[in-house]
Amino acid sequence: MLEIRWHSRAGQGAVTGAKGLADVISTTGKHVQAFAFYGSAKRGAAMMAFNRVDDKVIMNHEKYMEPDFVFVIDPALVFTSDVTVNHKENTIYIITTHMSTEELVASQPKLAGKKVYTVDCIKIAQETIGRAIPNTPMLGAFMKISGMYDIEFFKESMKRILGKLPQKIIDANMLAIQRAFDEVK
Amino acid sequence: MANKGWDEFEIGAMLRTFNGKIDDIVGTHQENRAYSENSSFVASVADWRINKPVFNKDFCIDCQFCWVYCPDVSIISRDKKMIGVDMDHCKGCGVCVEVCPTNPKSLLMFPEKADEETELAAWPAKNEEKK
Amino acid sequence: MAFDKMELQKIEVWDGNRAAAQALRQSQVDVVAAYPITPSTPIVEGYAKFLADGYIEGEYVMVESEHAAMSGCVGAAAAGGRVATATSSQGFALMVEVLYQASGMRLPIVLNVANRALAAPLNVNGDHSDMYLGRDSGWIQLDAFCPQDVYDLNFIAFKVSEDHDVRLPCMVHQDGFMTSHTAQGVHTLTDDEAYGFIGEYKPMNDMLDFEHPVTHGVQTEEDWHFEHKARQHNDLMVKVIPKIQAAFDDFEKLSGRKYNMVESYDMSDADICVVCMGTSVETAREVATEMRAKGIKAGVVGIRVIRPIPFFEIAEALKGVKAIAALDRSSPNGAAGMLFNEIAGCLFNTDTKALLSGYVYGLGGRDLTKAHLVSLFTELQKNVDAGKVTTPLQQFIGVRGPKLSFL
Ligand code: SF4
Ligand code: SF4
Repeated sequence: MLEIRWHSRAGQGAVTGAKGLADVISTTGKHVQAFAFYGSAKRGAAMMAFNRVDDKVIMNHEKYMEPDFVFVIDPALVFTSDVTVNHKENTIYIITTHMSTEELVASQPKLAGKKVYTVDCIKIAQETIGRAIPNTPMLGAFMKISGMYDIEFFKESMKRILGKLPQKIIDANMLAIQRAFDEVK
Repeated sequence: MANKGWDEFEIGAMLRTFNGKIDDIVGTHQENRAYSENSSFVASVADWRINKPVFNKDFCIDCQFCWVYCPDVSIISRDKKMIGVDMDHCKGCGVCVEVCPTNPKSLLMFPEKADEETELAAWPAKNEEKK
Repeated sequence: MAFDKMELQKIEVWDGNRAAAQALRQSQVDVVAAYPITPSTPIVEGYAKFLADGYIEGEYVMVESEHAAMSGCVGAAAAGGRVATATSSQGFALMVEVLYQASGMRLPIVLNVANRALAAPLNVNGDHSDMYLGRDSGWIQLDAFCPQDVYDLNFIAFKVSEDHDVRLPCMVHQDGFMTSHTAQGVHTLTDDEAYGFIGEYKPMNDMLDFEHPVTHGVQTEEDWHFEHKARQHNDLMVKVIPKIQAAFDDFEKLSGRKYNMVESYDMSDADICVVCMGTSVETAREVATEMRAKGIKAGVVGIRVIRPIPFFEIAEALKGVKAIAALDRSSPNGAAGMLFNEIAGCLFNTDTKALLSGYVYGLGGRDLTKAHLVSLFTELQKNVDAGKVTTPLQQFIGVRGPKLSFL
């Protein structure tokens, strides 16, 4: 079982990202689950989304999770919320920030000694898609760190999922995924 | 309606107005329609009356007001002509008398026991004061 | 047909709401009258979008309240259409008056309920308060444990509900958020398979049959009311379960997916078991498997059909088990839990003299964790070893503060 927790603000696309990822993984024959904690979250409020991936049907519906990966797609959340909650020994963090990994860990001591990767999904999204929607770039970074799928296969799959959007937006998303894949450190 | 057991009627709070299939219901007079036992048409409320309306066709102008206003569809009208009262369904409310515009009125209320011929013979004359 | 078909993948990643909306599309529902409410909103929104995009030939009626939504459904169903809607929580509560009209008038309406807590305090998350509120309303109530179930049970609902021997409305329940907003793989049917399964709508006593005029929703007093209610109860008790079974059998032939009135998992040799509904069934199954690895013979019983209650099937599923936990996700507010009482009733006159204890959990969406279930199973095993219930008969799981238990 692979478990992922997304830290995001409502409106940044964590749910769409989690569902998109589940969609791609599902086509490869694995079983998936994507859900979120909503509350009555307003746009901009901190929220969490989750992915579970397994070779057998996923029957666990508890919201409690000790994640293998933590995605943080808003730079401030590393400081305003505890992104390490319920973590495991080997939990891997991919965090959106303009800082380098060293600077980030230095400014948030909770991350010290943990496997932390950084990428500026906000900047990438702004420069490619033209809006600060950091969900698809995060998936590009995840492909690099996890080595889950070949990036070309992943991009092809995402194209199908984004299918209904205008071609320009799809192209921009592909660029964003690739850039995050290349830039994550 | 007979007091059927729980398993003897059609399901749902549903009643059929007619027995079997109907067509051209608009072109068929009430007395010729195949009303089912569930239709209120087969029930009489004649015994509710204390007073009854009596119709005097000599003054009637066939304005149809009584037909429009009768709450129990008890004014019988044929080819836009008022021809009488359906005494099985008239409950004696007097609305038809109230709305009748003629002078003297073409409909008047009398005690249920009153003799129609006698009352018609003694019908009031035109009231000159009331315009 | 004047609508487009949709090509679906064999497995789509859908949440429960999406699965329900797609089932409504494939069923070609004629009328949806709706007043959206979280977390069920995407169901009716989905129908409206499919309609606007030309995938459905039907009518979406926006109304001013849930009371009006169900009233619109009653009117459309009496007129003779295939009718569905969706709601949750406060919306469900507002519908209750009309729920009784729909079932008493014997109108086949499918109501998707994304189960949610009832205020006060206001809460949008999932529990079974609204489901429990509807259980005396004369509807058939089916319960889904995951998005796949939501999809499949909608077809079962139309097929059973519209059957001329049944003609009773049917709710399809799913856990708010935990199913309604959780995307998982859903095995799909093609549009033709799905529509072929439920078939063309066959009207009965419909108001649009002008050659046979009918009056719907008549008044009866002391002279007739009891007979009507008796008839309705009779049909729920006698006719519905066999029809659901037949629909389950047909559905298995079509899809390979098997449903039962009462779903039993690891029960053949179980010493202890939990009985629950919704997503908890699946989480409990996973924990039961883990308990078995530790040598504890744990099983799970999930109630698939809540109304009519599968009385004998429950007794059968629990036959020979030594300790049972009844899990209720709704505050009984001054009584034992609904499942506790139902199970007690099912078993009382049988030879199964199991130790029955009740648990109230998960109110307002509070997480039921695997850890909770592990300690619950452990407690049940203790009861078996002691030969008696060692705890109070009613306990609250996962609530903060001093341990809360009664009876
Ligand atoms: S008395 Fe009343 S019920 Fe009778 S005919 Fe006149 S209006 Fe109709
Ligand atoms: S209201 Fe009077 S005048 Fe008019 S149709 Fe009736 S009886 Fe005749």
